[in-house]
Amino acid sequence: MKKTILFLALVVGTCSLFAQRKTTTTATVNFDATTPKDALPKAENKTVIGSIDTQTGAVAFEAAVNNFTFSNPRMQEHFNGTNWMNSAQYPKFTFAGKIEKVNKIKFTKDGTYSVKVNGDLKIKDVSKPIKVEGKITVAGSKIKVVADFKIKLSDYNISGQPIDAGKVDKEPKITVTAEF
Amino acid sequence: MGTTTKLNIFAAALLAVSFFLPWVMWKDAALSGNDMPAGEFFAAAKEKFIVGNPFPHFSFAFKIFWLIPAGAVLTIVLTFLKKNAFWLTIVAGLLSIALVLLYFLFSKSLVNQLGVSKSTWNLVKPWLFVQALAAVVTVVTAGDGKWLMKGCLLFVTVVGTIIGFNMVSKQAEKKIFEETFISTDDIKADYCLSVIDLLREFVLNDTAANKKYTEKMLQVTGTVSAVDIAADSTSTIRFEDSTGPYAIFSLEKSQVNKIRNTKAGDMVSVKGICSGSIFSDILGTTSINFKRSILNKQ
Repeated sequence: MKKTILFLALVVGTCSLFAQRKTTTTATVNFDATTPKDALPKAENKTVIGSIDTQTGAVAFEAAVNNFTFSNPRMQEHFNGTNWMNSAQYPKFTFAGKIEKVNKIKFTKDGTYSVKVNGDLKIKDVSKPIKVEGKITVAGSKIKVVADFKIKLSDYNISGQPIDAGKVDKEPKITVTAEF
Repeated sequence: MGTTTKLNIFAAALLAVSFFLPWVMWKDAALSGNDMPAGEFFAAAKEKFIVGNPFPHFSFAFKIFWLIPAGAVLTIVLTFLKKNAFWLTIVAGLLSIALVLLYFLFSKSLVNQLGVSKSTWNLVKPWLFVQALAAVVTVVTAGDGKWLMKGCLLFVTVVGTIIGFNMVSKQAEKKIFEETFISTDDIKADYCLSVIDLLREFVLNDTAANKKYTEKMLQVTGTVSAVDIAADSTSTIRFEDSTGPYAIFSLEKSQVNKIRNTKAGDMVSVKGICSGSIFSDILGTTSINFKRSILNKQ
């Protein structure tokens, strides 16, 4: 009997643990480094992996660098080239962070919540702490996360004449949309 | 043999020799004058900086630069034979000046457009200047007098090369930046295989699989695990392996009507450009990503 109760408690505990952590493989990240001089450096990745833990507030994202799609073939090649993101050597961007005051968000009740997330964004071999503001919308069993922020390319040792020439924004805007 | 003639022979010899010596250094690639007519100039630019010849159908014209060493050597021979080598010398010298300027201006555009170096001078080697000097001396010492004509020819060559380069450069830039991807529909698949075989290849040896498939067009057939249609009409289609690894295709907006009728469990064929795989620490499995994909057939 005791063994049965213990087993059932373990099962229930495990199930609830899994229910807290939600994942998606279709989050979207938009990268916009356009300037008045050049409208081409912007891309989108629609196969970003994301996770959110509604209990601890932990959020994480992984994006395959080579799956950011540009409208221009040359821009696509340069983005992935060794002088820029070097996707052959650094195949993914990652973010791991935590939602501040996650206990104030009622994930079981429909509503929209403004949130702040603190975490580390890793591009190539450089990891930097960032603070992001976003919105979490709870609708039924779905949790939608939207956030946008800017990064400094120089923080990640990304530089080059196109940036100096004003053709690539020094602080591109990143927009993240995910539905869990 | 007068001093001018001796100087002319010396300059022609220097012209012929320095033509084959390094003029510019792009990363670890040393490029000499002969690399342009040999077709190696743009091959190196493409390999190092993904900047190919924007007008490849005109590449045959670069063979004219072989006249530089040929003209220089013939000038020396004809001069020793006391034959008239005036125009041969002039052509060899002027072509050399034009070529030197092309190398310099192209290197400058690599610096300005791509930031390959902090300064163009970092890319340039001393033999470029030797070639330029030898070319000017060759022209100036060709024949007797005719200073005005020689001066005009030098001026026109320099100005013409700079203007010509800028015009072609602008055209090339326009062409490059107006370029769009060829529709996936119009590209033949490099590989056709089942999802199961694809996933197996990546799981067994992802390094080899990434090398084989990245940036290649793949046509993949399998049973759909999940379909996702976003509010902006973009969509993704996922194929999973029972052990965890999956392939996910990011579909073009034009596919939205086709994908609306697709659901988990359907057997479909999808064509797209493979972006390679990543190992997801979040999911603890391998994800193979595809972009610019279309639903091939149902």
